[in-house]
Amino acid sequence: METRSRWHLAAIAALVLAALTLFACGGDDEEDSGDEPAAAAEEFAADTTPGELQEAGTMTIGVKFDVPPFGLNNPQSGEVEGFDVDLGNYIADRLGVEAEFVEANSDNRIPLLVDGSIDLILSTMTITEERDQEIDFSEPYYVANGDILIPEGSDIAGIDDLNGQTVCTALGSTYQETIEEEAPDADLRLVDRYSECLELIQTGAIDAVSTDNVILTGMVIQDDTLSLLGEDFTTEPYGVGIPDGDTEMKEFVDESVAEFIDDGTWQVTYDEWVGQFLEEDQQQGPPDITLEEALELFPL
Amino acid sequence: MSDLWGVLTEHLPEFSSGFFVTFRLVAIAFVIAMVVGTLIAALRVAPLRWLNLVGATYVEIFRNIPLLVLLFIAFAGLRRAGIPISPWVAGTASLGLYTAAYIAEALRSGVFSVGSGQIDAALSLGLTYPKALRRIVLPQAFRSVIPALGSLIIAMIKNSAIVGASLLALPDLLKEARQVQSQTFETNEVFFWAAVGYMLLTVSATLIFRYLESRFEIKR
Repeated sequence: METRSRWHLAAIAALVLAALTLFACGGDDEEDSGDEPAAAAEEFAADTTPGELQEAGTMTIGVKFDVPPFGLNNPQSGEVEGFDVDLGNYIADRLGVEAEFVEANSDNRIPLLVDGSIDLILSTMTITEERDQEIDFSEPYYVANGDILIPEGSDIAGIDDLNGQTVCTALGSTYQETIEEEAPDADLRLVDRYSECLELIQTGAIDAVSTDNVILTGMVIQDDTLSLLGEDFTTEPYGVGIPDGDTEMKEFVDESVAEFIDDGTWQVTYDEWVGQFLEEDQQQGPPDITLEEALELFPL
Repeated sequence: MSDLWGVLTEHLPEFSSGFFVTFRLVAIAFVIAMVVGTLIAALRVAPLRWLNLVGATYVEIFRNIPLLVLLFIAFAGLRRAGIPISPWVAGTASLGLYTAAYIAEALRSGVFSVGSGQIDAALSLGLTYPKALRRIVLPQAFRSVIPALGSLIIAMIKNSAIVGASLLALPDLLKEARQVQSQTFETNEVFFWAAVGYMLLTVSATLIFRYLESRFEIKR
């Protein structure tokens, strides 16, 4: 009985491995730049998470699939692309492993990280105290601002005007609470993906979408009848989500983020995905805020 | 375990508002499903061929499209076509019309369980066809399909969760539960209470249909 089940286990493991290899081969063709050869990566002890990932040769990163400039599953190329994806590839390259991207949206990304389905979250995730209880955050790698997207001919001129209007945002996003506080009479529509907010505003089913300005900019790129208010009513520093208490992994990701910013890759990535769509005076540099300061912005 | 109770008491406003949204959704859809289902069943057993065809077409359309697809067509599709349907109308109508197809089929099987001799007898006594249906056939048909209707209504209550999870984004029990979950990350506790909420509705439906069953039981 014992040997039989062992054999089964081995067979399953082999199948899973084969499937993973196939999957990885399908996904890594686009591996951009690849600035560092895998051999140059720092070696980690086998009992640390970075070491385990090096052993496995791949890491799974949860990104958004429907939020252009940050994470978009491009229907033309069939590849996931964006700022978060580039940073994910950068981190994986530093570790000398292949990055594999799976969809993780505002509602399911933390459960996916906690149950081990993904190794990191890079999903336009604002650093908050509430989330920090469940997972760890890297130092901020991007700072977005809260804004409002309105259709042509809308009377909405500020966050107060959202009272009495139907407003869409993602389930599990920080805006759920921000809007409940700032505009308590707004009728909130909570959806799983921001692409659903876009569908709703295009069909006139809602009056406004509220979330990070970069996500909204992505919608304006897709539909130029929509426009941003330019309110900047919140500051939303993004952090990489790391399993709770994993100090080696956090240290490694923090170093990666710092290097990403210091070696100029941040600026190149920003220009490619965000900067080129903005006026000169709307552009921004790398975050000048620390994790501690970020956590104070969204206390419990 | 104290945590389990704490999640409910702390988030009672969310849970109860979600519960009542689901209740309203299900109640309206139930009325639509029963009325439309009965009409379609009547068409399907009518003595005119083209009426049968209309009934059969309805059943095949609504029974063969997944509810989620139906919701997309009824909401985003109609809105893109310039019909400003609200999420509530789209949600209750989709759920009601979808369930109506199944109810029509259940009733049709009930009608066939009533001997055709009874219709012939009623017609020869001078009753019009609609009258024969209403007075003689349908009461007996309903009685024999009460258990089947009970199952369909329970399925409908559970299907209401699809309405809330769809693009319509109605703040139903499941949506409110997920909202609480996304704030507290108490996954097991939150969905336990959501399950209890749905069971309150389905168990009530079961009890009502059990009562109806015994109340209209045919003593043989």
